[in-house]
Amino acid sequence: MLLLIFIYISILAFILTSLSVAIRFSKMPMHSRWELYPVPKEKGRSEYGGSYYEELKWYEKPREISLFGELKEMLKEMLFIKNLFVNQRQLWWLSYALHLGIYLLGLWTVMLLVGAVTEVAGMTIISDEGVTSHWWAGLVYYVTLFAGAMGAVLTALGSGGLLLRRVTMESMKKYTTGQDYFNLLFIIIVLVTGLVVWASEPTFSYGREIMKGLLTFSPISADGPLTLHIILLGLLLIYIPKSKMSHYVAKYFTFHKVLWENEPNLPGSEIDQKIKEAAGIKSGKTWAAPHFQAGGPVSKDQ
Amino acid sequence: MIKGKDLKPQDMGKPHEQLTKLEKLMDLPAPYDKPGMEPSLTEPKDAWKEKFCASLDGYIGIDTLTRPTTKEEEEEQVEMFLSGLEKIFSDETNRNFIQPLLLSFEYCAKCNTCSEACHVFQASGQNELYRPIFRSEVLRRIARKHFKKGSGIVEKFIGADIDINWETIARLGELAYRCNLCRRCAQTCPLGLDNALLAREIRKIFSQEMGIAPRPLHEKGTVLQLKTGSSTGITKPALLDNIEFIEEDIEEKTGKKIKIPIDKKGADILLTHNAGEFMAWPENPAAFAILFEDAGLDWTLSSDLLGYDNVNYGIWYDDSQAKKIALQQFKVARDLGVKRIVLGECGHAHKAAAVSADRLFTGEDYIPKESFLPLLWDLIKNNKLKLDPSKNNFPVTMHDPCNVVRMMGIVQPQRDIIKAVSPQFREMTPHGVHNYCCGGGSGFAIMKSMNFSEFREKVSTRMKFKQILDAFQDTIEDPTIPKYVCAPCSNCKGAIRDILKFYKVTEKFNVHYGGLVELVVNALVDIEKPFLDFLRDD
Ligand code: SF4
Ligand code: SF4
Repeated sequence: MLLLIFIYISILAFILTSLSVAIRFSKMPMHSRWELYPVPKEKGRSEYGGSYYEELKWYEKPREISLFGELKEMLKEMLFIKNLFVNQRQLWWLSYALHLGIYLLGLWTVMLLVGAVTEVAGMTIISDEGVTSHWWAGLVYYVTLFAGAMGAVLTALGSGGLLLRRVTMESMKKYTTGQDYFNLLFIIIVLVTGLVVWASEPTFSYGREIMKGLLTFSPISADGPLTLHIILLGLLLIYIPKSKMSHYVAKYFTFHKVLWENEPNLPGSEIDQKIKEAAGIKSGKTWAAPHFQAGGPVSKDQ
Repeated sequence: MIKGKDLKPQDMGKPHEQLTKLEKLMDLPAPYDKPGMEPSLTEPKDAWKEKFCASLDGYIGIDTLTRPTTKEEEEEQVEMFLSGLEKIFSDETNRNFIQPLLLSFEYCAKCNTCSEACHVFQASGQNELYRPIFRSEVLRRIARKHFKKGSGIVEKFIGADIDINWETIARLGELAYRCNLCRRCAQTCPLGLDNALLAREIRKIFSQEMGIAPRPLHEKGTVLQLKTGSSTGITKPALLDNIEFIEEDIEEKTGKKIKIPIDKKGADILLTHNAGEFMAWPENPAAFAILFEDAGLDWTLSSDLLGYDNVNYGIWYDDSQAKKIALQQFKVARDLGVKRIVLGECGHAHKAAAVSADRLFTGEDYIPKESFLPLLWDLIKNNKLKLDPSKNNFPVTMHDPCNVVRMMGIVQPQRDIIKAVSPQFREMTPHGVHNYCCGGGSGFAIMKSMNFSEFREKVSTRMKFKQILDAFQDTIEDPTIPKYVCAPCSNCKGAIRDILKFYKVTEKFNVHYGGLVELVVNALVDIEKPFLDFLRDD
């Protein structure tokens, strides 16, 4: 039962901490404009990096925004890590293996859940005689198997490769902190314990059992290796959003709220409103240089 | 001294007289691939080492960062740096940048994708010191050490393993001036992080807290501009004299009698120039006047304080100076009652007025700002100017100012214009939003103290020089063919002028430089003699 509660807690912690990171960034004050082209939402211009400033009297014309353009670029980045693919192919292979592996493991988790729901509803997925002959059971079983196996292999290749690259390449090693190594190692260890468990039961039935436990709030039975794996995985889930591995949240802000955010401040616009509100905030604290002090000298030498 | 390739972020605090030095730089294309074609590197003078911080790479960018003479002074400077460091991370004192700063500060994966993109790092022959994340990583390590005091092992684990002393801090300040803030690196980062932003925040700590910034930017830059109206120091009477001279010059060169409108109330357009043009390149405001008058626009210049100089060096190093200047510039336009500000050939003025200062003021103070580029293209497209491109029948290439292109998204109009007036136009590689900085960005073009120019000529402008040579490979070695580098930005133009001089390119290979409007005027049908000086016989 304790194990079950721990799993609940770690999943909840993962979601809540990720959310709190997002909330923390979204609550920050509106920043000065700091966009960088190409901005994909610029309709008809994003291909070459153009913007509304190419238009004569742009402020009198309606703003043409392509949400599709933005979405397309976002998906390319999320699904393929496009920027890395274009700018650093070698590293992309490893990084993409890791990320695709993680996506597949995500799919695997969902499939375990689907399997568990199916079993709770009364249809066995796999028994001692083999996979149940119903097409649904077969589908669930093989997709789970495929996602789990491919996910594990790719994540292992990716994280192992990245770690190896980091320790062997001088230009990367110099900038890597102990914590950076720890993050990669943590993923690898969770993966290894997972592989050990899987080796003893290749059908992933234990996964569906755990999901059933979670769904019906009933205790799960786990042997030594499985318990260890669950604890480590849970700890990883708690740790990820607290570390810089939470870049899945940050990336939304770096692109959407900074680099691709080029909303002009026109009279009566929402931005205009925000500036007015911000103008009311007076801070007691200021900077110390002479030119910040009223009536003070304007530079050090005066 | 440590070899460039062996340098580590932790070395910034180590007691070396000079941390590293430039060695084998990036190769240049023909004819500069032969030995003896470029001036060699020099050593910093001993007197500079004693007075300033020459202990980074031997160059001195900050001429106000002087070595403390007493222990107390030294400690005080370190303390001030740390208090400034705290202020950039506070949403009370750094409202405008806290969000982008924290994102770039916290999430770097050290994947080094950005290094490929940086012209300074590449031009230096990949000296570790100039790698975009080197500076960022030093800042991170200092901040971690300062904010999260822990035991030795914890410090090492989180990367708080750098010694914070005066030397570390001074070197970091210098290093913030080895980046052109061109943001080419940020375009390639898979996480959308921005090393230029971090470099600029370091500059802010020095300026806003410690009162230390290169003289050409602060004391002789923004401070002078706020006091006299222009960082060039031109006063109103001098400006008026200058404009008279420009009118005479126009008549002499083109036979056109033009009265340049000044302080015309209620005009449609207030045209603003980088005041450096009036002094160094008067043919540029002249060309604007010719084109605007030819097209019959309702326009004016301003002779008001800050109305005739659109530069704003504040955007390179100090938020409050930037704000003060923008505020006054917009006020001039409103007082004149013009309908819009049109920005002339100055890249950073484009970004400062239209982008950086866009969210500083609310509706009541609003005045539309736009680039001259769409306007000029509109005039050409609608046949308001009679042009004969065959008058520009020589090889031309164009530099894209980072501030206009990468940071504002104006890419196409200048191409349409140049193609309409120049039959032998060829692009640089890469160009448009992926161009390389001219090497003069973020203040470098005007920072000339001690040996800093050498860093600029040899390193930061090197990639642009390579691009220019590459663009003219077909004719470079034929000195009978004139070649033209078009740079529609005052600062870029300054940087390119200095490259051509330093490497003796005009002298040896007949390569010239100038703006875009000059090229357009040179193609005007009704002008008899060439407008461009290098085409004239007299
Ligand atoms: S590309 Fe981005 S994440 Fe990678 S090292 Fe550079 S700044 Fe860091
Ligand atoms: S902003 Fe430009 S000069 Fe600075 S690190 Fe990035 S690419 Fe290099």
